[in-house]
Amino acid sequence: MINGNVKPAEKFVVPIGPQHPALKEPGHFELTIDGETVTAASARLGYAHRGIEKGAESRSYVQTLYMMERVCGICSHIHGTAFSLVVEKLAGVEAPPRAQAIRVLVAELERIHSHLLWVGVGAHEAGFDALFMYSWRDREVVMDILEALTGNRVNYSANVLGGVKCDVTPEAAETILKGVDFLEERARQYLEVVQSDAMFLRRTRGVGTMTREEALTLGVVGPTARASGVTQDLRKDAPYAAYPDFPINVITETAGDLEARFIVRVKETIESCRIIREVLANLPEGELTTRMPRRVKEGEAIVRLEAPRGEVFYYVQSDGTDTAKRVKVRTPTIANMASVLHLSVGHQLADVPMILAGIDPCFSCNDRSVRLTSAHGNDVWTWEKLRQHGIEAYR
Amino acid sequence: MNFFADVIQPILALLVFPGGLFVLALGLVYLWVNRKLVARLQNRIGPRWFQPVADVVRLFVKEEIIPEDANPALFVALPIVGLAGVLTASLYVPLFGMAAPFSYPGDLIVTVYLLSLLTLCIGLAGANSTGRFSLVGVTRTLTQMFSYEAPFLLALLSPAIIAQTWQISEIIAYADGRWLMFTHPISFVIAIIALMGKLEMPPFDAPEAETEIVAGAMTEYSGRGLALFKLGHGAELVIGVALVTALFMGGTANPLIWLAQTAVMLLVLSLVQVLMARLRIDQTVGLWWRYGSVLAIVQIVILIVWERIVA
Repeated sequence: MINGNVKPAEKFVVPIGPQHPALKEPGHFELTIDGETVTAASARLGYAHRGIEKGAESRSYVQTLYMMERVCGICSHIHGTAFSLVVEKLAGVEAPPRAQAIRVLVAELERIHSHLLWVGVGAHEAGFDALFMYSWRDREVVMDILEALTGNRVNYSANVLGGVKCDVTPEAAETILKGVDFLEERARQYLEVVQSDAMFLRRTRGVGTMTREEALTLGVVGPTARASGVTQDLRKDAPYAAYPDFPINVITETAGDLEARFIVRVKETIESCRIIREVLANLPEGELTTRMPRRVKEGEAIVRLEAPRGEVFYYVQSDGTDTAKRVKVRTPTIANMASVLHLSVGHQLADVPMILAGIDPCFSCNDRSVRLTSAHGNDVWTWEKLRQHGIEAYR
Repeated sequence: MNFFADVIQPILALLVFPGGLFVLALGLVYLWVNRKLVARLQNRIGPRWFQPVADVVRLFVKEEIIPEDANPALFVALPIVGLAGVLTASLYVPLFGMAAPFSYPGDLIVTVYLLSLLTLCIGLAGANSTGRFSLVGVTRTLTQMFSYEAPFLLALLSPAIIAQTWQISEIIAYADGRWLMFTHPISFVIAIIALMGKLEMPPFDAPEAETEIVAGAMTEYSGRGLALFKLGHGAELVIGVALVTALFMGGTANPLIWLAQTAVMLLVLSLVQVLMARLRIDQTVGLWWRYGSVLAIVQIVILIVWERIVA
C-alpha cells in the first residue's frame, strides 16, 4: 500500500519496522519525510503470517476452535465466539440463552481489557508514560476477573461449539460487579484526563483528523469509524449472541481526531461496564451447552461480530465432514490500515506512531497470504522451488 | 613552591574530588534517583540502586560496533570529547556544598558552553553514524539546543546582572543566604525547565523519542561510546542541578544541605517528567521562543528597572 508521490532523487525515507520500539508486532512502514513532515507513506504487512486458515482445513471443528482463539492475543474471545457462531449456524444448532449471555459477558470484559490496553499504548506513543502505567495497572483488575471466570488471563477459551464451558456463580457475579465498579470509576478518571490534560491534548487534538466522508471512503471500522461520526456497531446493527436482549448505546464522536478516538474508546469501556451489570442482573437460567453434531451439514455461512477493534468477519464452508473445507477470517486492522497511510501524509513524523496506534493495529491478526497477479505473469512457486530457495537464501 | 597545594591538589580536584570520579559516581546515583522517583510516581517498582552502574559496566565490556559509513576516529573520539567537556565544566561549579576548585572572571559563560559541548558531540556523533534515525535525531537535538540555550543563558544572566559579575564564585558570594529563587522566580522556573531540555528529559525528549526514532542520535552507539555518553549525561545532570541550586537556592551550603537541595530539585524534575506528555519538536521550539525567551527578558528588564530606578 502506498500513498503520496515519491521523487526518488530527493527522498529521505525513515523505515519503521519490522523491528521498531513503536511496534509490538512486525510490520513495515516507509515514511518519506521532508524535514519533519511526512510526504509519502507505504506499508508492507505479512511478517507474521501463520497459515491459520490453511491449518483449519486439516483439523476438526473442535480443534479449529482452539486454534481460532489464537488468531489475536488481545481479542481471543471474539474469534472463538465468531467461529462457534458460524459453525453452529451451519449445523443448525443454537446455543442456550445462558451460554449466549455469558458469551456477551466475556466479550464485554474483553472489550474493557482491550480498550484499557489501547489507552496505555496510545499514551505511550505520545510519551505520556504515567497514563500508560496507570491504565495497565488497572487493566490487571479485569484480567483477574477473566482469570477467575474462565481460568485464563489471555486465551480465555470460554467457548465450546454449542455453548460455553464456564458458568457464572452468584459469588463470581459479586466479584465481577465489584471489579467493574472500580473499572468504571477509573475509566471516568481517564475520560477526564484525555479531555483536559493540556500537554496531552497538544498531541491529540486536531491530529490525524478523519472526516466522516473520508472514514466512509476508506472503509474504516470499529472505534476508528465511530470517532469520525460513523454510527456503525454490529452489536446494534446486526445483533448476535445475546445482544438482542441487551441493547447497547453506540458511542460516536464527531471530531475524528486522536482525541475523539481516545474519548470513544474510554466511553465504550464505561458502556461495557453497564452491559456487564445488565447481563449479570438478567442472566437467563438453563443449560450451558447444547448437543452439537460432530459432522456439520454441507453448506457455507458467514458471521460478522464487533470486536474491540471493529468488524470481524468469518466465512466457513463445510463439505459435510468433521473438517471445514475453507475458513476465511478478516480482522478489523486490515480495514483500518489504509487510513493510517492516508492520514500520515502531511503530518509530522512525531504524529505517525500515534496515528498508527490510533487504529489499535494488530498485525499478526491481519496477515494473510495473497497471490499477486502482475503484468509479468503469475509467478506461483512450486513447493520444490520454494524449498530450493530456502536452501539457497540461508546458505 | 608548595608541591602539595600547587600540583597534587589541582590533580586531585581534576581526577577525584570534586571533579572526575566523584562527579561520575554522583551522576550515576542521581540518574538512579531520577529513574526511581519517576518509577514510583508512575506506580512502578523502578530499578535497584546499582542499576545505572551495572548498565555502564556492562556497556564498557560490550563490543563496540562502528557503522560502515562512519568515520571510525570521530565515532570513538566524540564521546570522549563530550565527557571531557562536562568534566571540565564540573571544575567551575560548586559541588557538594564547597566552593569550586577553579574560578576566573567569565567562567559562567564557559561552563554553559562546556555543558553544551556534550550536546554538540551527541549531535556530531549522530550525524557521523549516518543512520536514518540518527539523522532525524540529530536534527531534533540541534534544533532543541538552539531553542533552550538562549533562555537558559538569559535565566542564568539575571543573578549575574544583579551581582554585576560573570564569575560563578562571585555570583554565589552575592547569592549566599539570599535565595534568589524568590526574587527571580521567572528566571528560576525557566532555568529548571531549560535544564530539562538540556538533559532531554520528558517532555523535552523528542530528540530521543523511542516510539518514533528509536534512540535518536545515539541509535548506532553501543558499548564504550554509549557508556561514555551515559556517564556524561549523569555528570551533566549533577552539574546542571548544582549550578541552578547554587545560583538560586542560597549559594554554597554545607554538604548535607546541598544534598537535600539537589534532592528537592531532582524531585521537581521527576514530577514534571511524570506529569507531561512528550512535546513535538516544533512545539518545543515554539514554547521556548514564544514564551521562554520573552519571559526571561521580561525578568531581566524588571530586575534592571528595579536596580537602577527604584532602589
